[in-house]
Amino acid sequence: MTEILVVTSGKGGVGKTTTSASLACGLALRGKKVAVIDFDVGLRNLDLIMGCERRVVYDFVNVIQGDCTLKQALIKDKRLESLYVLAASQTRDKDALSAEGVRKVLDELIAEGFDYILCDSPAGIEKGAHLAMYYADRAVVVVNPEVSSVRDSDRILGLLAAKTARAEKGDDKVQEYLLLTRYSPARVALGEMMSVEDVKEILGLDVIGVIPESTEVLSASNAGTPVILNEGSDVSQAYTDAVGRLLGEELPLRFTEEPKKGFFARIFGS
Amino acid sequence: MNQPAEASAPSVIELRYAQIGILQGRLRSLDTGALLDELTGRVATAPHFFQRTALSLDLDLLAEAPQAADVRAVMDAMRRVGMLTVGITEGASWVPELALSLSLPVLSRPARPAPPRAPVAASASPPPAQAARPATGLQHSRPVRSGQKVYARDRDLIVTAMVGAGAEVIADGCVHIYGVLRGRAMAGTRGDTTARVFCQEFRAELVAIAGVFRVFETLPPELAGHPVQAWLADDELHFARLGG
Repeated sequence: MTEILVVTSGKGGVGKTTTSASLACGLALRGKKVAVIDFDVGLRNLDLIMGCERRVVYDFVNVIQGDCTLKQALIKDKRLESLYVLAASQTRDKDALSAEGVRKVLDELIAEGFDYILCDSPAGIEKGAHLAMYYADRAVVVVNPEVSSVRDSDRILGLLAAKTARAEKGDDKVQEYLLLTRYSPARVALGEMMSVEDVKEILGLDVIGVIPESTEVLSASNAGTPVILNEGSDVSQAYTDAVGRLLGEELPLRFTEEPKKGFFARIFGS
Repeated sequence: MNQPAEASAPSVIELRYAQIGILQGRLRSLDTGALLDELTGRVATAPHFFQRTALSLDLDLLAEAPQAADVRAVMDAMRRVGMLTVGITEGASWVPELALSLSLPVLSRPARPAPPRAPVAASASPPPAQAARPATGLQHSRPVRSGQKVYARDRDLIVTAMVGAGAEVIADGCVHIYGVLRGRAMAGTRGDTTARVFCQEFRAELVAIAGVFRVFETLPPELAGHPVQAWLADDELHFARLGG
């Protein structure tokens, strides 16, 4: 049984691609066979975050247009046996995508026996974002704890409820989850940032993960390593927890409180 | 063209009546300066609400027949704040002639509310709501999210979830929201002045009843977050907390 997950947000720059890469790795680390697809045609990024940018020969649009087979376009991850990347085309625009084309690729991936297909949505609510969510079974809505991101997520959640294959066919609705990124408990305590509770209340949804703000995300991106692989770091643990919750585990939220300063730190300052 | 004359060409235009919402602008004066002063403030609080809104000018409150040039100046002023004048509301005997000289249609007046039957009590004690209307309300149990619009035609709308900021819930009857109202609620959109808006947690951007609306730039603290109802009396919106 293959499950199609979309990682979306409406707003740009909130961490969709970072999240897609880390969730895909996290699921593969649990032994699942995972394909992660970059739907941001024309602004290809996922290959960089996954560190496979030099191995992109064929891309998603090539497969849709029949220029190559799916097998030729799937890039096998160097680190994880069961993880594959399907890169976006950098030279095309979103009009190169079509609902039938996307369905065809998804069906092939399902036939290949993938457990999870992650669709990394582009920002916005136009064609690319629409097609990324269209066939989804579950949706991870990435949100930053600030008003404009929350508003855009609300919009995306409305589209998930109305403009997906599930909604149109009247099947069960797309299961939606919130994932907060760039969360800084210290700034929440100062009243500068919305809290997890605020975001949950406004959007009326449960949170599947809270990823703390960290400089590690940037350096991991630049190094082409999905940040979940930086074992031991807060961000990696937070994403690992989110993966567990996606798989149905019940785990308490971590990293939502300001870390207490240790004895020495209190005496000597930080 | 080599087509035989009797070949039935597809018709160039299809005409049909469509139901459209037209804002009524009742003018007390043709002073464009005062008009702009008043409107720019209002528009700034709800820019999208007025963007390219169709407007019918109701000139009946003016003491005498206006000059076409003065009405044109008003139309220009309206355009500057985003509203497009599409007609003159029927009324005084000089309206047809004025409309003709402006090349605008005369539009029918929306059904006038019956005059209040009894003096309306102070807003602290709202009069009891009217008896239920015949049709069962349209029930909506999913959250209404930013950018979504739910409309109940000829009946009440009952939303048993939240209404997000930027979402619109609209009914020709009453609007009931068993959840937070952060967006816009419009009741009695086809002129029913007895329609009301009820919500469990009031954080609305805009509330309108029978076309009379109020934009909330800041929420009155006595209403914010409380169960609230809104009703219309004497062409004015009233708000009060529900259940004490």
